[in-house]
Amino acid sequence: MTAPAVAPRRELPPKPRNILRVALIVTVLVTLTVAACTPAIGGVEIDLASISKHWANGAKKLGQMMQPNFAFLPRTVAPMLETLQMAVVGAAIAAAISVPLTLWAAKPTNANSVTRGVVRTAVNVVRAVPDLVYASVLVAMVGVGVLPGLITLVLFDLGIIVKLVSEAIDSADHGYMEAGRAAGGSQFQINRVTALPQTLPLFANQWLYTLELNVRISAILGFVGAGGIGRILDERRNFYAYGDVSVIILEILVVVVLIEVLSNALRKRLA
Amino acid sequence: MDTAWHVELDRVSVTYPNGTRALKDVSLRIDAGEMVSIVGLSGSGKSTLIRTINGLVRATDGTIAVGPHEVTSLHGRALRELRGHIGMIFQGFNLAERTDVYRNVLVGRFAHSPAWRNLLGIPSAQDRDVALAALESVGMLEKVWARGGALSGGQKQRVAIARALSQEPSIMLADEPVASLDPPTAHAVMSDLRRINQERGLTVMVNIHLMDLARQYTTRMIGLRAGEVVYDGPAKDATDADFEQIYGRPIQVRDQLGAAG
Repeated sequence: MTAPAVAPRRELPPKPRNILRVALIVTVLVTLTVAACTPAIGGVEIDLASISKHWANGAKKLGQMMQPNFAFLPRTVAPMLETLQMAVVGAAIAAAISVPLTLWAAKPTNANSVTRGVVRTAVNVVRAVPDLVYASVLVAMVGVGVLPGLITLVLFDLGIIVKLVSEAIDSADHGYMEAGRAAGGSQFQINRVTALPQTLPLFANQWLYTLELNVRISAILGFVGAGGIGRILDERRNFYAYGDVSVIILEILVVVVLIEVLSNALRKRLA
Repeated sequence: MDTAWHVELDRVSVTYPNGTRALKDVSLRIDAGEMVSIVGLSGSGKSTLIRTINGLVRATDGTIAVGPHEVTSLHGRALRELRGHIGMIFQGFNLAERTDVYRNVLVGRFAHSPAWRNLLGIPSAQDRDVALAALESVGMLEKVWARGGALSGGQKQRVAIARALSQEPSIMLADEPVASLDPPTAHAVMSDLRRINQERGLTVMVNIHLMDLARQYTTRMIGLRAGEVVYDGPAKDATDADFEQIYGRPIQVRDQLGAAG
């Protein structure tokens, strides 16, 4: 037996580099950033000095918030429940509507490019509008309360679910669909019997994710009058009751983290 | 017994949108009840040929008659109804893996059941009986509640055969049905197909690239090369030279599966 030969040292082939392109990208990014904060040429004015100027005031407010007024807690329970109810009901309604819309928006489940295009365009438009804008407009339309908040959440959720799930369906392999077509099935039959159970985990994942987002969003929808804990948060802030404000913030924090932990645990079991 | 259908292709050509000419002027007649293999290398047009018969691929030229129907002139509901009479199995089995075997087999009843039954998930008593009988005939009845994805390759293909049988078809198409299976399972599936041909009298067309399986299990062999028919004759008489002509190269070890076991 001979001693194992020492493997010859391999020269790594030179890694292709493009220093010029990297330099160009960095230059453009830096230039744009600097220009964007230069008031002389129309950029925003960022006055860092105001932090130190108002420091005393800020520290005072912070100090007040450091003493949460837990006596206020009972009064927050009902609005917090309202927020959670909005989140759950909104997510449930969105989940129900999302199924047909998503299947219409994905190519394998809807061969008709016209209806597919209509649904996709509509969803993209819905997604383009920020949630607080929906809430403000809807409050003006249907009045202050839970309803405008609920509609806002449903629209927001639909935008997320339909886009993400339909894209996932687009990129997956669908041999079972060819089998359904070969057996003489209509697109509806194929979607209902095979595509739906096949894509249900994708849906469930996004449904839970939107529930999580809903709790976070519905906490601030009250700022524009759309119900929930946000309304009382806005009210206490206007009264400069920072002890109450900090209780509400802590409460939102706890609830959001709890929902997130729960939803993560459920999503892990789905995978 | 289901009535078998004949298949007749008259000067059929298929050109894909990207310009590939998959079939060139193919004319064939397959009589009702024949067991035919279509042999050729990948890219020879086998898959295209078999898919023109149930309209999954549209012929760009020529006509295809299947039983009493003219495939090339059918659209929409009429085409779906025709497909209901033509069973098909695939190389990749094409099961819905997250759904149970029962629902997968009921896919074969699509053309026979109204959409509202599918919407509510309530098969008719007849659909249920047909599906269960099909599962029993391939020996998979006890797996009826297993998920498609939980089965082995051979079991998946048998469920896929049951799905096709539950259509109560007049023709059975098979696109490379054993290419993803190990040799013993491949022989079992080929035997199933031969049994379907002999016991039910169905017309069976099998795409296959392995010469020994074609010789052993089918009675007639059609050789395809670059979209053209280069051989048509009894399968067991096909010589090695015939296969070399179909493949366009000398025979290699991988052109044969070998014996079972």
